[in-house]
Amino acid sequence: MVDIVELCGSEWADWYRLTPAERWKESAQLWQVYLSLGGTLDPEPDTQSPFFDAEEWRAVFADGRAKLRSVRRSGV
Amino acid sequence: MGGQSCVLYGGAEFSRDTDLAVLPDPENLARLQSALDDLEAECIAVPPFEKRFLDMGLAVHFRCRRADALGMRVDVMAKMRGVEPFAALWDRRTTVDLDGESVDLLSLPDLVKAKKTQRDKDWLVLPRLVEASYFENRDAPTPPRVDFWLRELRTPELLVEAAASFARERTRVERDRPLLALAEAGREDEIRRALRDEEDRERDADRQYWKPLRAELERLRAARHARPPAS
Repeated sequence: MVDIVELCGSEWADWYRLTPAERWKESAQLWQVYLSLGGTLDPEPDTQSPFFDAEEWRAVFADGRAKLRSVRRSGV
Repeated sequence: MGGQSCVLYGGAEFSRDTDLAVLPDPENLARLQSALDDLEAECIAVPPFEKRFLDMGLAVHFRCRRADALGMRVDVMAKMRGVEPFAALWDRRTTVDLDGESVDLLSLPDLVKAKKTQRDKDWLVLPRLVEASYFENRDAPTPPRVDFWLRELRTPELLVEAAASFARERTRVERDRPLLALAEAGREDEIRRALRDEEDRERDADRQYWKPLRAELERLRAARHARPPAS
């Protein structure tokens, strides 16, 4: 049998062994650290995404604040 | 259905948004609008939040303004390439309990299918998702799990092991995934090449799928720029 640590390394093996709830908790802790260090929720430019538009990305996210007006607030 | 689901299933993505797959019927979309209003979420890009755009397969992007969710982004989709309509996805969903809160996720096989996009970052997480399932359950294989592993494993060493362990099922699945013949023979270098070919085909299919949708997005952006600003 393929050994999990040999194949993936101990960090990934440990991650795989966690339950979903434990992974969620670890991820949330990482978020706390990230945000406490000044990390932003704005995305990196995802140039491979079919939704990506450089101009739109700059307008919405470049300085961390939305500049575009709302396209629509309701209407469904 | 996005990075947060990957974390729960054992992949790892540092996702800064929450991706939701929704049933695009008017009643449900009204409920969603109400939840978005509660989060003071505004639509931050094209397309606007309308059923017809969700039906097309476009994503609608929001950013929350409520203090306790400030800056949080939510993307909403109703239709993804390579997976069945929402009703089937819902029937197969996984529900996990997070601190007493029930969270519904795309099933792992559906998530893996939906992740076969044109983006590098999705192809990095795909092998991890299937490995996590394999290592957790290889001692308790069930027919659906074996079928999933044989169709979706992307780790040559594990493909070789699974092909040997589940020979009867491999013969059946090999019709749909010819590289399993290489796995049965233990030819890992050739498996790697075949996996790259599989990936290239999926990326190309995704690009083709998005061509008309990208054109629609361009049209919407152009229309927005052409509109005079509201006074």
